[in-house]
Amino acid sequence: MTISTSPGMTLPSVNKRLIGAAVAIALGMGAWFLLHSMGEEDVWAKTALFIFILFFLLGSGVWVGLALMAVAYIGLDVFVPGIAGDRMLTTIWSSSSSWTLTALPLFIWMGEILFRTRLSEDMFRGLSPWMAGLPGGLLHTNVVGCTVFAAVSGSSAATLTTVGKMSIPELRRRGYPEFMTIGTLAGSATLGLMIPPSLTLIVYGVTINESITKLFIAGIVPGLVLATMFMGYCAAWYYLFPSQRPARDPGMSFSAKLWNSRFLIPVICLILAVIGSMYMGLATPTEAAAIGVLGALILAALQGSLNWQTFTESLMGATRTSAMIALILMGAAALAQSMGFTGLPRALAEWIASMDLSVFTLIAALTIFFIIIGCFLDGISSVVLTMAVIEPMVNIPAFQDLGFSMIWFGIFVVVVVEMAQITPPIGFNLFVLQGMIGKEIGYIAKTAIPMFLIMVLMVAILVMFPELATWLPETARSTPG
Amino acid sequence: MKFAADLLLDPLSFLLIACCLVGLALVLRFRAPRVLDGLYLAGGVAGALFLIAILVIILMNMSARWLLIPFPGSTDYAGYCMAASSCFALAYALNNGAHIRVNLVLGRLGSWRRYGEIWCYGVAALMALVFARYAVKTNIWSEKLNEISQGQDKTEIWIPQLSMTIGAILLALALIDHLVRLLVTEHEGVAKTALGEGEA
Repeated sequence: MTISTSPGMTLPSVNKRLIGAAVAIALGMGAWFLLHSMGEEDVWAKTALFIFILFFLLGSGVWVGLALMAVAYIGLDVFVPGIAGDRMLTTIWSSSSSWTLTALPLFIWMGEILFRTRLSEDMFRGLSPWMAGLPGGLLHTNVVGCTVFAAVSGSSAATLTTVGKMSIPELRRRGYPEFMTIGTLAGSATLGLMIPPSLTLIVYGVTINESITKLFIAGIVPGLVLATMFMGYCAAWYYLFPSQRPARDPGMSFSAKLWNSRFLIPVICLILAVIGSMYMGLATPTEAAAIGVLGALILAALQGSLNWQTFTESLMGATRTSAMIALILMGAAALAQSMGFTGLPRALAEWIASMDLSVFTLIAALTIFFIIIGCFLDGISSVVLTMAVIEPMVNIPAFQDLGFSMIWFGIFVVVVVEMAQITPPIGFNLFVLQGMIGKEIGYIAKTAIPMFLIMVLMVAILVMFPELATWLPETARSTPG
Repeated sequence: MKFAADLLLDPLSFLLIACCLVGLALVLRFRAPRVLDGLYLAGGVAGALFLIAILVIILMNMSARWLLIPFPGSTDYAGYCMAASSCFALAYALNNGAHIRVNLVLGRLGSWRRYGEIWCYGVAALMALVFARYAVKTNIWSEKLNEISQGQDKTEIWIPQLSMTIGAILLALALIDHLVRLLVTEHEGVAKTALGEGEA
C-alpha cells in the first residue's frame, strides 16, 4: 500500500508502461470495431469471437466477476445495440437483491465464526477414541471430521483448514504415512461442497431458480455415500499395507469414549438445528442460516473464544467472501442474459438432442468438460460459467426431452466440481494444503489421485442410481412461504 | 434517432464520470492517501453492518411468524440489505485480495508481470466504469419514473439502488487508483489473493 516515490518523480520505465497501456487500448478498440462491423448474418463468427474474448479475459487474469460482466456487456451491445447497459444493470440489480441469495452471506459468516473457535480440537478429541479401533485408525478422523464440519460449513477450504490444523500434526506424531494423511484430507474436505449447507449448491440454485432446500436435502445421501467410500479407502490401505500401520493408541473404556465425545454435542446440536429445521419444513434456507449464525455465536461464547476481535474478524471475513461471490454472481447473471441473445444455448440444446446421445455418453462428456474447466477455474466460477449456458437451455423443449432432473444435475455438478478442487494446476484444496504443510503441489496432487478416482466412481454410481439424490428431497416437507 | 442520441449522450456522460474518478483517484492518492484507503474500509464496514442487518431482519421475520405478527415486505428488505452488503464491500474485498482471478498466466510473466497487471486493472477499471455509469443512470431513472417495488414493501426502488450506485463507483475508484499507481509508481497491485479461509 505504500508509495515509494514522490508524486513528481517519474520512474525510468513509466514511458514504456504507458506505451504498453496504449497498445492494449488500441487492441481493445480494434476488437470492438471488428465485432460491430460484422453483419447480422455473422452470428456464428460473432459467437465464436464472444467465447474467445470470454476465455481470453479470464485466462489473462481479469477478476472473474468483472470478466464475465465485460463479456456480457460486449455481447449485449453486439446483439442488441443501444440499450445494453440498461438491460445489464436491471438484471444485475434484480439478481443481487434477491431474497434467496441472503442465505449465502449468513452461511459464510457461520463458517467464519466456527473457524475461529476451538472446534477443531474438540472434534479431534471427540472423534479419535471412536475411530482408533477401526481398520485405518485415525485416518478416519479426517473423513468423519470433514463430514461433520461440512454439515456446518459450506466451503471446502474452510473444512480443510479446520479439520487439518488439528489432524495433520496429530497423525504425524503418531506415525501415519504422510501420503495417506494428506490424500484423505484433500479428498474428504471436498465434502464441504456436497453436504449441506453448501455454497456451491446455493449458487447453483440461485442461478437456475431451483429450490435450495431441495438441493440441500438432495446432497445429504450422496455426501454420506462418498464419505463411506473414502472410509473404505482408509480401510483398504490398512489391509493392503500392513507394514505401514502405526502403533495403536492405548484403548479407552466405553464410558471414557462417551465422556470424551461430550465435546461433539454442541456441534451436533448445531447441525440438527440447521439441517433439521430445513428438512422439517420449519425454516427456509435463509432462516436456517440465521439460526446457524446465532448458534455458532452461542457455541463460540460458551467456549470462551468469542470476543470483539474474533467477532469483527469473522464478520469482515464473511463480508469480503460474500462480496467476492456476489461480484461473480452479478457477472454471471449478466452473462446468462447475454448468452440468451447469442443463440448458443438453443443451438447447443438442439445439437445435443439431434446427436441422440445416451444419457451415459452425455454425462461422461459433461464430466470431462467440467474436469477440464475445473483445472483452471474455482468451483463457484465454473458452476456459474456453465450455468450461464445451461440456464437459458432449461426451458428449451429439446433439452427438457433429455429428462434431466435439475436437482439431480445439481448434485452431479457438485461432485464434478469437487474433483476440480483437487486437480492441478488450479485446485483450491491443493493450494490450501500447500500453505499448511509446505510440500510441493505435485506431491499433494499425487496423494489425492485415489480420492479423485473414488469421485469418478461416485459419478458412475449417481448415474446408475439417480434415486440417491432424488429420493430424500421428495420426503422433505415443503417450506412455509 | 434514439440510437444517434445514445451515441452522443453515452460517451459524454461516460467520459465525464471517468474523468471525475481519475481526477479524484489522482488527487486523493498523492495528497491524502489515508482518505482513499479510509473510503474503501468504510465501504467494507458498511457492508458488514448490512450483513448484520440481514441477520436481524431474518430473525425478526422468524419470530414474527411464530408470534403470528405480520411483518410485510421483510424478504424484500433482506434482499436490499443483501445488495447493499455486497455492493458496498466490493472495493474493500478488492483491496484485500478477496476477488478471485486466474493467476496461471500472470504468475509466469516474471518481469513482464507489471504489464499483465496493467492490462488486468485496465480492463477491470473500464468495466467497473461502465458498471458505475449505468448504475448511476438506472438509479436516476428509477427516481424520475418513481418506480415502486413490486413486493409488499412498496419501497421506492431508487433508495436501495443507491447502495449499488455507490458501491460501483467505489469499485471503479479503487481499480483506477491501483491502475494509476501501477502506471507511475512502484506499486505492484493488490497482494496475492489470500487463500485459505473463505473460498469455496
